[in-house]
Order: sequence, then C-alpha cells, then structure tokens
Amino acid sequence: MSSIPEYMTAKHRECDEFFSEAESAVADKNWPLALAKWQMFASELTEHLAQEEDVLFPQFEQATGMTAGPTQVMRMEHQQMRALVQSLDNALAAKEKDEYLGLSETLMVMMQQHNMKEEMMLYPMMAQHLSDGDQLIEGFKSSEVA
Amino acid sequence: MNMSGLSFNALPPIDLPFRFFLTAPLFIIACALLVLFSGETLWLSRWQPNMLALTHGFTLGFLTMVMMGALLQLLPVIGGVGIAKPRFIATTSHVLYCAGVVALMFSFVFAHQWLTLAALILLSLGFGLYLSAIIGVLIKKISQGDSINGFRLAIISLVILLLLGVLLLANRVGISVSFITLDKHLTDIHALMGLVGWAGLLIIAVSFQVIPMFHVAPSMPKYIKQYLAGSIFILLMLYIFYAEFALALIFISHGVFAVTLFYVIKQRKRKVPDTSIKYWQLAAATLLLLNVLYFLPEYFYHSEETPLFMPLPDKGMLLTAIFIYFYLLSVIQGMLLKILPFLSYTHLQQRCLIDFSAMQFIPHMHDFLNKKQGVALYYMHIISGLSLVAVIFEPSLYVVFALFLLIEFVWLLFLMLRCMRLYFSVSKKINLSNNT
Repeated sequence: MSSIPEYMTAKHRECDEFFSEAESAVADKNWPLALAKWQMFASELTEHLAQEEDVLFPQFEQATGMTAGPTQVMRMEHQQMRALVQSLDNALAAKEKDEYLGLSETLMVMMQQHNMKEEMMLYPMMAQHLSDGDQLIEGFKSSEVA
Repeated sequence: MNMSGLSFNALPPIDLPFRFFLTAPLFIIACALLVLFSGETLWLSRWQPNMLALTHGFTLGFLTMVMMGALLQLLPVIGGVGIAKPRFIATTSHVLYCAGVVALMFSFVFAHQWLTLAALILLSLGFGLYLSAIIGVLIKKISQGDSINGFRLAIISLVILLLLGVLLLANRVGISVSFITLDKHLTDIHALMGLVGWAGLLIIAVSFQVIPMFHVAPSMPKYIKQYLAGSIFILLMLYIFYAEFALALIFISHGVFAVTLFYVIKQRKRKVPDTSIKYWQLAAATLLLLNVLYFLPEYFYHSEETPLFMPLPDKGMLLTAIFIYFYLLSVIQGMLLKILPFLSYTHLQQRCLIDFSAMQFIPHMHDFLNKKQGVALYYMHIISGLSLVAVIFEPSLYVVFALFLLIEFVWLLFLMLRCMRLYFSVSKKINLSNNT
C-alpha cells in the first residue's frame, strides 16, 4: 500500500482551503487578500494537476493498460477546471464580485465531484497497481521543498 | 476490484435526470389540489383514502422521483460507472413510474379495482426496470468508502418497502398470501422502511460526501461514518419485532446525526452564504425537535390542562408530517439547488471542449439558478411547512396549507423551467458556433 491516496487527498484539501479563503475575501471585497489567496490556490492546483497528468496517470495507464478509461475522463475534467480558473482570473482582475462568486460556486462543484471520483476510486486503484507509489510521492514531496 | 467498463464519466444525457426532476413538482401541485378539494375530513387520520393518496404523492411522486433522477447522475461519481442503456432505462422506467404513481393516487381516492391493479403492474414494472439497472452498478465493488455502503442499504430498504407495498396492493385486489398478516404493524414497517430506510439512509450517505466536500468542512467522525447507516438499518429490522424500543432508538440515532451535522457545518471553512447549508441546518434542527416531540410524556398531547399543546388527534401524523416536510423535503430541495445549475453547466461545458471559443456563451451556476430565487424557495418552504403543522392541529386551515403548497411548488417548477430554458438557448448558441 503506497501513500498515494493519503498525499493526493491532502492536496485536495489544501487547495480547498486556499480556495475558500479567496472566495471569502471576494465576498468581503477585500481584493488584495483575495488575489493573494487565489494565486496560492492557482499554483497549488497547477502543480497538483501536473503531478497527475505527467506522472501518476501515465504510470497508471502503463501498469493497467487502461488508456481510454478513467484517466482520460479525469484529463477532460482538468480541462474544464482550467477553463473556469481562466474565467475566475478575469473576474478577479475586473473586481466583479457577483461574477466571481457565480464562477467560484461552479468551480467548487466541478472540483468536488471530480475529487470524489479520484479519492473514492482512482487513488485507491493507483495504490493497488503502482508498486513504486511511495517513491513517486517522495519525489513530489522533495520537489515541493525545492 | 473489478474495473471492466469503468468510465468515471458516462454522464447520462441531461434530459434523463431532468425529466424526473421536472415531473416531481407536478405531483405536489396535484397534492395541493387534492388537499384543497378533500376538505377538513382529510386530516382525521392517516387511513383516510385521500390521505393515503397524499402521502404517496409526496413520497413517491416527489421524493422518490427526485432521488431516482439524482441517482442516475450520482452513480458515475460514486460508483465509477453509469447504468447500461441509460436512455432506454430512464425513459421507459420514468413513463411507467409516473403512470404508476398517478394510478396509485387515483386508486386510493376512487377505490376501483382496476386502478389498483394498474398501479400494481405499472409500479412493479417501472421500479423493477430502474432498480435492476441501479443494482447492476452498485454490486460492483469499484468504489471505496462508507457512502457506497449507505447507498446499498438505502436500496435494500427500497426493495423491502416495495415488496411490502406490492403485498398490500395485491391484498386490495383480492390476492392474499397466507404467510404474512397485513395489519397496521405491517403498514408501519412499510412506511418506516420508506421514510427512514430508503429516503433517510440515502440522505445520510450523501451527507457524508457532500457536506465536507462542498463546504470545506471536516469529515464526519469515523464511527458515525462507519456505523450510523448500518445501525439504523439494523434498528429498522429490529422494529419488526420490538417496535417501540427500536423506534425510540431510531429517533435517538437521528438526534446523533443532527448533532454531528451541526458540528461539521459549524466547522466549515467555506462560509459564503449558501441556501443548501440553510436547508441542511433546517433539517438538523428538525431532527432535534422530533426527538423532543417523540420523548415528551403522553399527557402533553392528551391532557386537558396542558399549556403547551392543543389536543392532538394523532401524534404519529404530526411527527411523520414534520419528518417528511422539514427533514426529507428540505434536504432534497437543498440538493436540487446545487444539482440543477451544475448539471446544466457541466453538460454545456463538455460540448465546448472541442471548440473552446464557445465557452464564452456558458453562464455560471448563479445564472442558471439565481441565488435570491433560491433563498425565496427556502422561506416559502418554511411557511408552507408551518401551515402544514397548523392544519394538523386545526384542520379547517386546509385552504391555507393548500395555497402555500401550491405557491412553493409552482415556484420550484418555475425555477427548473427557467434553468432548462437557459440551457437550451445556450446550447443553440454553441451549436451555431460549432457549425461556423
């Protein structure tokens, strides 16, 4: 059993926290704080998606031979999230509170139904099929420190 | 772990869940008319034929209808696969089911043999088709976690309550079985399996996932997630033999659930105003109130000098009405406020993945379902719920309840139609953009 589910799930929660802090700041019209928190969220998210798309998904596809299944759908949902992040960037730059909150609600639901699939199914499967899961996670952790 | 057929997507076409959602308020609107035309006598007892039509209109016509639509959507998320042949299964079971519920309601009101027979056949076919598809997904052990077990127990309760329902209906058309006596206790089991087993366990299982995730709250305590749904299910079985003892524990279990809900919601990090959270809080408060009402000594209900209550004909009716209206309906409406706009959004967005430029046409969730209009629904729900409680104490107020009920569910229908209309107009724009 590797620590993939544990580490990747913790990252989801971390993203959620930055996300909520940015959203609360927008609701209070505290734009500087909102921007700071939003950027922390966006960089965490970018890193997390890259870890999945560049490392974990290819490894999983290789180990199971499933290239057209779950990982492909996850990649598509990542694209959907990136599009929303782009729209949120714009709303934040224009300081449009209602627009931002409507978009953030959308991204939130989008992210969470995506996270559910990963946490309940994909990560446990990865833990089962990737024998070097622990090393992969150690790699993520060390690049984080650097 | 069986991974064959795993897709994670299989998002059913949007019109499939939406046809369940859109028909659901129509049944409550029919119920409001039934209340209006039945008069005061409706509220004398739960055995009034029109009251049976009313309870089944609420539970099958609305609650189960919405839950059936939502499950189509939830299965790919929680189970990794959608149902096979979704269009055929959803369309056919929806038509059979709607006709079955209508026949059932009419069979209670008019007591015609052929209506009862029609209800029996249509509901059996509709449920049979739908359930066989859902069970086919749930028996695959793809998903990990406590929610999926809650879903399985909810479906088992549904199957039990349906079998009992079939026996009760069959008895009405003169087919009786020898191994079981169809008495009040059996109908109590039938009702409890529906309200606490099917609807209640599904809500509990959903809450484990939905509240921590959508509101960035801590997850529910481990022992609650592991044991609550299972314990309630065991208590439901125990109810068959030791009714009073089990019922008391069922109330207490829900009290524990309510306290957990309050605790988790209070700890949430995402604090932007949210009507769904208000609905969850209302639901939790209701469960606590129900505990108080259940454990109040009997003389509070019957004594002449009691300052607290007017004489109440039927404590069971009061508790059941509050449970359905302020607990089950509240959670379901709160969920709808999220599901309707999200489904509209995600379906449109998926169609833009080939042509990103069309993404600009897609409104966000608050455009699909205006926040203020959602808040309005919440207050309408409280008002009509209070008028329901009032009518149980004072049946002559039935017109007030009927009108509030009508207003609330016409409003809900309006919100759904507005969301759908926006969906179709944006969909058209995306088509045009894709074609140019």
